[in-house]
Amino acid sequence: MNRLFAARRPLGLAALAIVAWVLPYRLNVYWISVADTALLFALLAVGLGLVMGIAGQVNLAQVAFFGVGAYGVGILTTAHGFGFWLAALLAMVAAVCAGLVVGLPALRVQSHYLGIVTLGLAVAFLDWVTNAPVTGGDSGLSGIPTPPLFGVGLSSQYLYYYLELIVLAAGLAFGYFVVRTSLGRRLRAMRDDALAAGAAGAEIRVLRMIAFVLASVYGGAAGVLYAGLIHYIAPETFSIADMFLLLAMVIIGGRQSLWGCVVGAIGLTVAQQELINLAAYAQLGYGMLVVAVVVFAPTGLAGVPSRVRRWRLRRRSGISAAALGSFSGVPSSGRTGAVLEVSGLVMRFRGVIALDRVSLRAEPGEILGIVGPNGSGKTTLFNVISGLYRPSGGRVDLDGRVISGSRPWRISHHGVARTFQHLRLFGNLTVLDNVRMAMDRTRSWWSWRYVFWPVGVWRHERELSRQAGAVLDAFGLAAFAGALPHSLPYGIQRRVEIARAMASAPRLLLLDEPAAGLNGDEQRQLAEIVRAIRASGVTVVLIEHNMGLVMSLCDRVVVLDSGAVIASGVPASVAAQPAVLEAYLGTTTLPSEAS
Amino acid sequence: MIRRSGAAAALSAAAIAILAAACSAPGSSSGGSGGSGSGGSTGAASGPIKIAVVDAQSGSSSDLGQFEWRGVKLAVDQVNKAGGIDGRKIQLTLFDDQGDPTVGTELARKIASEGFTAMLGTAESSVTLAMAPILQAEHIPNITSGQSTKLLKLGSPYLFLNGPTGLTYDSTLAKYLVQTKGYKKFALLTNNDSYGAGEDSAFTSSLKSLGITPVAAEVVPADQTNMTPQLNTIRSRNPQVLFIGAEEAQSGLTVKQARSLGMTAVIAEGAPAGTPLFLSTAGVANADGTIVSSPYLGNGVDAASKAFAAAYTAAYGTAPELHGAKAYDGAEVMISALKACHACTGLALASAVRAVHRTGLLGTFAYDSQGVGIFSTSIGIIKNGTIEPVSS
Amino acid sequence: MQSFFQTLVSGLSFGAVYSLIALGFSLVYRTMGLVNFAHGAVLMTGAYLASTFYLSARLPFAVAVPAAVLATGVVGLLIERVLRPLESKDVDLMLIGTIGAGTVLEAVAILIWTSSGRGVPSPVRAAPLDVGGVRIPVYNLVVIAVAAVTMVLLTLFLQRTKRGAAMQAVAMDPEAATAVGIHVGRSNAVAFAIGAGLAALAGSLASPMLFVSPTMGDSLGIQGFAAAILGGFGSIPGAIVGGLGIGVIGSFAAQWFQGYSDLVTFVVFTVLVMVRPTGVFGEKTVNRA
Repeated sequence: MNRLFAARRPLGLAALAIVAWVLPYRLNVYWISVADTALLFALLAVGLGLVMGIAGQVNLAQVAFFGVGAYGVGILTTAHGFGFWLAALLAMVAAVCAGLVVGLPALRVQSHYLGIVTLGLAVAFLDWVTNAPVTGGDSGLSGIPTPPLFGVGLSSQYLYYYLELIVLAAGLAFGYFVVRTSLGRRLRAMRDDALAAGAAGAEIRVLRMIAFVLASVYGGAAGVLYAGLIHYIAPETFSIADMFLLLAMVIIGGRQSLWGCVVGAIGLTVAQQELINLAAYAQLGYGMLVVAVVVFAPTGLAGVPSRVRRWRLRRRSGISAAALGSFSGVPSSGRTGAVLEVSGLVMRFRGVIALDRVSLRAEPGEILGIVGPNGSGKTTLFNVISGLYRPSGGRVDLDGRVISGSRPWRISHHGVARTFQHLRLFGNLTVLDNVRMAMDRTRSWWSWRYVFWPVGVWRHERELSRQAGAVLDAFGLAAFAGALPHSLPYGIQRRVEIARAMASAPRLLLLDEPAAGLNGDEQRQLAEIVRAIRASGVTVVLIEHNMGLVMSLCDRVVVLDSGAVIASGVPASVAAQPAVLEAYLGTTTLPSEAS
Repeated sequence: MIRRSGAAAALSAAAIAILAAACSAPGSSSGGSGGSGSGGSTGAASGPIKIAVVDAQSGSSSDLGQFEWRGVKLAVDQVNKAGGIDGRKIQLTLFDDQGDPTVGTELARKIASEGFTAMLGTAESSVTLAMAPILQAEHIPNITSGQSTKLLKLGSPYLFLNGPTGLTYDSTLAKYLVQTKGYKKFALLTNNDSYGAGEDSAFTSSLKSLGITPVAAEVVPADQTNMTPQLNTIRSRNPQVLFIGAEEAQSGLTVKQARSLGMTAVIAEGAPAGTPLFLSTAGVANADGTIVSSPYLGNGVDAASKAFAAAYTAAYGTAPELHGAKAYDGAEVMISALKACHACTGLALASAVRAVHRTGLLGTFAYDSQGVGIFSTSIGIIKNGTIEPVSS
Repeated sequence: MQSFFQTLVSGLSFGAVYSLIALGFSLVYRTMGLVNFAHGAVLMTGAYLASTFYLSARLPFAVAVPAAVLATGVVGLLIERVLRPLESKDVDLMLIGTIGAGTVLEAVAILIWTSSGRGVPSPVRAAPLDVGGVRIPVYNLVVIAVAAVTMVLLTLFLQRTKRGAAMQAVAMDPEAATAVGIHVGRSNAVAFAIGAGLAALAGSLASPMLFVSPTMGDSLGIQGFAAAILGGFGSIPGAIVGGLGIGVIGSFAAQWFQGYSDLVTFVVFTVLVMVRPTGVFGEKTVNRA
């Protein structure tokens, strides 16, 4: 069935290409201008889909990027006499600069905060073009020239359609290239869980800027084409109402699918034209449609087929845990384990001391257990080691190199991987992509290849897929490669998280309560996996409440209480210390069966 | 393997499509511009004469659009009832431009593709500015209600105004205020849309030619409803006259807020000040004494306006105002031209419009080469909610 | 100096209105975790209802406003019912979903009242007070006073009444609140209705100073939301401080930068948010992760 689908896709694309190519023959002057507008909105929507749907950055300034592109061309051609394409190039540069400016707040704020800030910046842009003499104020700029192409003036709406079609096709192809490969995977991972993505080596801040730059490139290109199409620009075209319309296109079409964005844009543009003389009723219908889509089909039109498919799949069989293969050893990474040295670590939150001069050491080929009652600072310790928190005092060294205070992605690149107490898998990435994302050890600046050396990206991608396949095989997860994590049983999700952590070929692995929620059988498998990881030379530090597991698995144990180390040593001796018993139970009975 | 053959099929299909497209260009069948009613010169066709009315029917300027539509429809209904033009009826179609120039450009193409002979509207200069080049390329004459001097700079032989330009309004007003009333301290409050910006420059230059520099010239965003910060600045300069250059509602609000700050300066304004929306927004008491420059001061000034007002009131149940009168006059000019040239189209019709010489509600239309037909306004003063002409 | 104080007075009067808007945003957000972009449209509905009661039904202003607040509160209950599935969704969906709801309200307003808008005469006809050359319209004082009283009443309601305490509990920990027998759904509905009532109050108080039209909520909503963020989203003192702050910044930006006032206001706002993302009083987040 999968193969059939694969065969159908290029055929479908070809059919679509033919329809798009012959469509103008069927359209009159008016409808071709509608089609031209629709294609521009599609390009804009793809940009918005990339930043919002793929990278998860709320961006209500897409319409301003559109405006910067259009006004850039308008000002340079009419006031300074530049040729169209030179002006277009400079306008694109301006749009990218606008993308960087609008993206800047994303480094500090997210979610609805980012929403209002970007909206505010869009309002500010609109205000500027309405007032500035250089933009012609409210009456706008007229007399923008037609772009010439190979000596042919594109004054015909019909020829322009093909120019736009080619740009949109190129934009879509590039968009899909990004989304399906390394960069897009990181962006999607960041969208699903920025914290986990950072811990898996993604440079969150750079990625956010890249997302805004991508959006601004699409927005700017649409603006350039718009100026060449209409020959006239005025502030109304870049209003907040248009921004919300664009947002509706993306949400209704399906923000996580670039095709969805295109369908949404074309559909709403055509609907708007059809209903132009019924404005109030059209507005009513449009508002209700938006609410209905958000409530009943949050993934938009593009998400409907996969929802139906998943629903049918679930009804037919569901994914059974029986498909779980057996663990067959850790693929060797060629890296050796690292020495973790924590010395005098202090972590304060607004006067509350979470870690109080914690010192400990873990050696390669060793499993160090960290135990202690709830609230004793175990997870805080992990968060400091993996760079989520900056310590208030003390330091963390890895093989003698200070890593404390570094950002999570840098610590990940130093060879530290972790799992989380509450699962933090990337929910909308397949199991395979979860693993590939962590396996990808390139830095963000590596992404220049997308523009200048796409073949390099492609090769890298093939290599990643091969290695990721090996990891999935080794962890017995091959059967779930295409599944989304939350469709899997809990125990399998736990294993996926460990596989993801190991995919980055770490030298130090931090496991935060890996046995929580596992049944007896799964716990035995877990112990087997952790021992194999130790055997491969990786240093393992593990937080666990299940004392039975700790006793049997760990080589040494450190006990934390109220943020301080109260005992350490081999498991048997630690368990016998009165201070430990006191901390755990407030009495001096043996805590071996506590969970 | 299946995948590869699919891709090959796709490629060859696309190649065929490209070849097919290369053979003939789409849309080229009708001389590059498509549509049917363009480029012609004589009206040999039968059936109704199609005229498009483009005005905002939604959004903040929909009131204006509604007034314009009523004026046009009244004129056309009258001529149709009297037998039409050479036995052919005029068929009006209303399009909503939403006050958005981009929508305007799309409508211009729609009008061209659907074979309209002429267009009336829009009420906003910025929309007309965007549409004019397309209408020119498609040879469709257009009588607009815009008054921006930028319209003249387009130099389109197909574009005509149904009233005076902003400069005419403002120079008449400035002359009256300075020379007749002897005021010397002027303050300007204009908004930043194309109407307000046009008023700002027109009134400033009118004052300048009379040797006066305003004591304050404040600008508000067109969508701002709180004008007090700018009014504070103006109040501190203590002007005798406050000139307002903004649309009806914003003008009314400005007057109301100025009075609530205790400002007593005389209010002076162009056409918007005479409208019902201005009066209701400002409040009758606040609007008292406002000096208005308008080509159409009221419904009872002369016999023509009385007849128009009676017919308008009979048709719509409310009394007309300036915009309805302007649009009515514009439609009458178009009808005269169509009659004169026996329902011709394109450039011939444009020439016929330019040749029209008739007295309407706003005065006597005699078009110059730039498409302006009316060159004077009258001064009125608002008393108890109605405009009275001042004796000059 | 006189001009400075004059602008300050104007900024504070509009700031009082923004505070009320921000208060509605914050109350809804902290109780149910919903970022309600339809708030501006709810405000517009309230303003239209009040102006209809006042102008068409000829009720005294002091009766028309409370009537509009109540009616809008009821409308709020209906909207909450529609938006309820959004409360647990991510911010993109909330954003566009509530914008969609706002669009519906706007369309309904256009169908009922047309899109042209109306001016509302000031209910206070007294001449402006003159304090050392600074003119203070009496109505502005009324607005500030009503806003202040409302905020005190709201605080008392949240702290002293059983229903208010229940809402506070839901805000802090919905699961624990459910465990002690508080009906979270009802609490959310009440919060939304109060939020809608606050919006209606803001809208109807502002309408004699401004202009009632179907789009009046757009910019007021954005300013009010910015005010809530500036003060600390979800915080009641934050809403007050943020509202006054945005009002004063906007007023001085309008006086000094004229047409560019929005540009200045939002650039200043962006910088403030980047310097202090959680606002003056910090976000009172609902923790529903």
